[in-house]
Amino acid sequence: MSKKNNKRYAFVIEISKCIDCKACMVGCMAENQVPVEHSRNWVHQKGPKGVYPDLGMSFEPGNCMHCENAPCERVCPTRATYKREDGIILVNKDKCIGCKYCMMACPYDARYFDKETGVVDKCTFCIHRLQAGMDTSCVHTCMTGARTFGDLNDPNSNVSKLLATHEHHVKLAAAGSRPSMYYIY
Amino acid sequence: MKLKEHEQQMEQQGISRRLFLGAGAGSVAAGVMASNLMGFKSLAAAKERADEVSAYIQEVPTVCEMCVWRCGLKAKVREGVVMKLEGNPDSPKSRGKLCPKGNAGIMTLYDPDRLKTPMMRVGERGSGKFRKVSWDEALDYIADGMNKIKDKYGPQAMIMSATHNLAQLQFENLLQAYGTPNYGTQRSLCFNAMVMGFTMTYGTSDVAGDYSNTRYVIYNGRNLLDGIANSETQDLIAAIDRGTKVVVLDPRFTKTASKADAWLPVRPGGDLAFFLAVNNVIIREELYNKEFIEKNTSGFEELVKEVQPYRPEWAEEKCGISAKEIYKVARDFAAAAPRAFAHPNWRTSNTLNSFQTERAIAILNALVGNWKEPGGLYPSGGGHGGGLELGSIKQPPYPRVAAMRLDGVPLKYPIVPLKLGVMQELRDAIVRGKPYQAKGWFLFRQNPMMSLSDRGKTLEAFKKLDLIVSIDIIPNDTSYYADVILPECTYLERYDPLSVVGNKVFLRQPVIPPMYESKPGLEIFKLLGERLDLHEYFNYKDGESYVRTQLKPLKISLEELKKKGFYEAPSHGKEEHHEEEMVFQTGSGKIEFASETLAQVGFDAVPKWKQLPVPEEGKFYLLTGKVAQMTQASTQNNKWLSKHVPENVLWINADAASVRGIEDGDEVYVESKIGRVMLKAKVTEGIRPDCVWTVFGYGHRSKGLRTTYAKGALSSDIHESVTDPISGSQALSQTMVSVYKVPA
Repeated sequence: MSKKNNKRYAFVIEISKCIDCKACMVGCMAENQVPVEHSRNWVHQKGPKGVYPDLGMSFEPGNCMHCENAPCERVCPTRATYKREDGIILVNKDKCIGCKYCMMACPYDARYFDKETGVVDKCTFCIHRLQAGMDTSCVHTCMTGARTFGDLNDPNSNVSKLLATHEHHVKLAAAGSRPSMYYIY
Repeated sequence: MKLKEHEQQMEQQGISRRLFLGAGAGSVAAGVMASNLMGFKSLAAAKERADEVSAYIQEVPTVCEMCVWRCGLKAKVREGVVMKLEGNPDSPKSRGKLCPKGNAGIMTLYDPDRLKTPMMRVGERGSGKFRKVSWDEALDYIADGMNKIKDKYGPQAMIMSATHNLAQLQFENLLQAYGTPNYGTQRSLCFNAMVMGFTMTYGTSDVAGDYSNTRYVIYNGRNLLDGIANSETQDLIAAIDRGTKVVVLDPRFTKTASKADAWLPVRPGGDLAFFLAVNNVIIREELYNKEFIEKNTSGFEELVKEVQPYRPEWAEEKCGISAKEIYKVARDFAAAAPRAFAHPNWRTSNTLNSFQTERAIAILNALVGNWKEPGGLYPSGGGHGGGLELGSIKQPPYPRVAAMRLDGVPLKYPIVPLKLGVMQELRDAIVRGKPYQAKGWFLFRQNPMMSLSDRGKTLEAFKKLDLIVSIDIIPNDTSYYADVILPECTYLERYDPLSVVGNKVFLRQPVIPPMYESKPGLEIFKLLGERLDLHEYFNYKDGESYVRTQLKPLKISLEELKKKGFYEAPSHGKEEHHEEEMVFQTGSGKIEFASETLAQVGFDAVPKWKQLPVPEEGKFYLLTGKVAQMTQASTQNNKWLSKHVPENVLWINADAASVRGIEDGDEVYVESKIGRVMLKAKVTEGIRPDCVWTVFGYGHRSKGLRTTYAKGALSSDIHESVTDPISGSQALSQTMVSVYKVPA
């Protein structure tokens, strides 16, 4: 399973295309059977900024950013949270003791504690779908193509091409977590 | 609530108890379909899940019904449980993508509050007291009541109404066979003005914009990012990405406005002045397409004369948009033409001027000659098949209807098509008892108790009726006040008549069998028709046999269609060419700037300005609209959707709020001439200071809807019922309200 696959998965978000419809969030609920009081992904509304009638507003989707230098992984006392070679960060639920350190360490508030199971959960980059050769659920349903997912190690992937041709940013770069989620404004 | 019983049924159908755990206790644990699929405890489990996703899950193609756009989808079903809904890439409506509502269809299917059996009222109307009955008892009771009404008062004393859906034609079959002219649809609450404005100009309202080639689009109130029309919403964002200029007229800073090049916060009703002034500039500065106008239009001279006084300087104060901006839009639009269009819009039930506003918009498009030009407007063929002939079921002609309609069509509303009607007048006629007293109302998935302005009046109308029957999926407010409720199954559990899109047909088919005792609409109509001695009008066995008959002329079997989900007919290869002479289905056969038809019935042949009432000092226009996660009043009980918008709030401009001491989140009263509701304030810069806005569809009174009961407030409790005399449109932006803080 976890043998070398030479992939480095990442999301690229084109902010101008997100319409805040939240289809990605509802689709994820179904795909990953997320308890209704939680979400593994989000859309943050920015604005309206300015004074009537000169206003601006944008929407920023996100989810676990599967950081290269992941604070959640560092603080986990049981190594339940671990990183695969392809950059995907997962929680081994057999090892998780529900201490929530990772939730406090995450700069993006991407994790939640599932009362039913007693462990912490979060976005898995839909690893079960990737293994079946499919796109992540959120990318699959996004009507406007605001979300793109792919392999940074493949220069011909859509994510590589987008990053090569657009100025991009990561969230809270100062936290030093080196997230695998890039935003194009 | 019989939670236990409900769970047992779930379990019989292979659904884990966990899905509904806590539903009775008020908390929500929905979303977990089967406990062994809960996340995955190890990579082995993840692998197992991956195999399951690719191999053990059956994919059933069908058609969505979370709104009326009819997106093709694929349902992933595992051991009889619907796990996931995804767009069908072959569907031109979804292109493989689903909106939040489409994704949440599972929670409508598995809503614990669904209607499960037929029910008959045992308490007072509105008491919510019902007893479970068998289908036989319910149908016998309804048939008996309808026959009595027919015998004693004539079939016209029975009103039958339905909302927009695929089985609607068969519902119309039922009412025509029964013999009543009193048919109610939602259309006058929605798009009468648009349909009629474009029909009176182009002879058709099946008009769409060519997004892939356009350079400039004007929207008047159309908010495609909240009022999602899946493929069109996709087209808009793609066009913006390519650099298409977008102008949005809306009193509110909508999501669509936030993506536009210009947001023009127009005064409600002032949009007519805006478009008259744009037309004025285009004519005065000779920016129009002379050749197109000469060849394809009539009444240009009259238009030139009438539009003369409507200079941007004149319009400025009426529409609240500067003359400079109006000049700019007119010149930029004309410069981009013919690769430019002013969108026909959709819900145009706004003001007494809405019909003429739509006329002015239709005229603007014709002035620049964008008809059938790349990037302009083109006839979309609507849903009418584009030459696809479906098989029809043999039946005798309908009985002749002699009685006049209660909704005033055509006597009071001479040019409103019978198919559109004037729903709110129908309700008013019940209250008045004139020209005759209606005695019964049969409703198919329609919710006038919420959708019609002035709910008090709708309640009054209900009191005058001997028999109220409601077919629905959940106990909505109308069902709550009905005498008999019949449970229809959801779109994931039934066949419906085929959906035709261009030269493709799409099949809605049951993904799982109907749950509980629910039945498809097609079968309910037949069962009732038989009891009304109308057997010969229902020559089909069930939904499946109905679809088989429809498929007969096409080269595909039902079995094949069930696997594929759609059938594409060979195209006729007769693409129309621009050189061909254009013929329009109007009186003159041309696009009509001046309409003889309108003049004949005493309306303005060319759009003219009419000053509408404006709010008194300190009052606001009450405006309503949509959010992307909800469809009218039908989805608020869906837990995956209500999670995102649990209640509606009142948008109020920051300055207007500050004057009244209102802060964000404060509870405020919103009061009109007919009532008062309480809402939480959302203080924002994103709305005109003379307007307040809220989402329609909240404030359910039905206690059967446990997720959404009493959440937020219903605009129809304070919306006055005002009607555009030409199109019969409900004028929803003409209620003025005061807003004040709820005293602590």
